[in-house]
Order: sequence, then structure tokens, then C-alpha cells
Amino acid sequence: MIAGLEVAFGLIALAGAVSAALIRDSYGKLISLGILVAGVLPFIVDRGYLDVAVTVSLIAPIATIFVLMVARREES
Amino acid sequence: MNTTFILGLVILAIGVLSVAFVRPKTYVARLINLEIPAWGLLLVMLAYDEALAILTFVAVTAIGTFVIVRLLEWRDASC
Repeated sequence: MIAGLEVAFGLIALAGAVSAALIRDSYGKLISLGILVAGVLPFIVDRGYLDVAVTVSLIAPIATIFVLMVARREES
Repeated sequence: MNTTFILGLVILAIGVLSVAFVRPKTYVARLINLEIPAWGLLLVMLAYDEALAILTFVAVTAIGTFVIVRLLEWRDASC
């Protein structure tokens, strides 16, 4: 990968991980998790594993939806 | 060293620390934090070119999250 892109996506993934660890709100945590996935996914694509990239992009939102059900129940 | 490997190890460490010392001490916050080290471990597996391991790991993580979510709902309903 281009070095600049590598640094940029690495920083995006790190920002997602740190903010998901520090934010106290459940919905904020889920949004930060999306940022983390967005930073990790280009590294998978760069390696050439397009099947893994397709699987990850399909399964990651499904896991988010599962957690979202609990978060909504907890808030009410 | 490889960038993917280093980034994976850093995210793994951040995730493990956030699960251990979770700030709002609720099950939901701990469950969401548990997904952070999974992505770090995925990057470490990616550095070793284990495509089948990554596929299995992602699928099993999603199924495990679903099982824990059902368990949390059942526990909240019972008490």
C-alpha cells in the first residue's frame, strides 16, 4: 500500500479503538466501532483477500444490530 | 516490522485494557468493548496470511455476540 494511505488508515483504526474504549455512551461506542472497522477493512483489501473483505463487511453490521437491540432495551 | 502486525497488537492491547477496566460497569459496555480486541486479533491473523482462520474467526465472533445478546435479554427478563 502507499505509505501515506497506510498511515492514514492506521490512524483511523487507532482513533476508532481509542474512542470506543473511552466513550461512555452505548450508541457512541457503536459508532466508534464502525470507525474502527472502516480503518481495518482497507488492510484486508490491500492483502488481496476480497472474500474475507466481503464476509467482514456483511457480518460487522449484523453484530452491530444485535448489540443495538440490547442498547435500546437498556436505555428504556 | 510489518505495519499490520504492529497495528493489530496495539489495538489488541487497547481492547483488552478497555474490557478489563470498563468505565460504566455494565454488561452492554463490556460486550461492546469486547469487539475491539477481536479486530486487533484479526489484523494479527492478517499479518500471518491466514485467510481461512480470519473467515472462521469473524463468523464465530458474530455468532458468539448473538448468543451473549440473547443471554443478556433472558437475564434482564428473568429478574
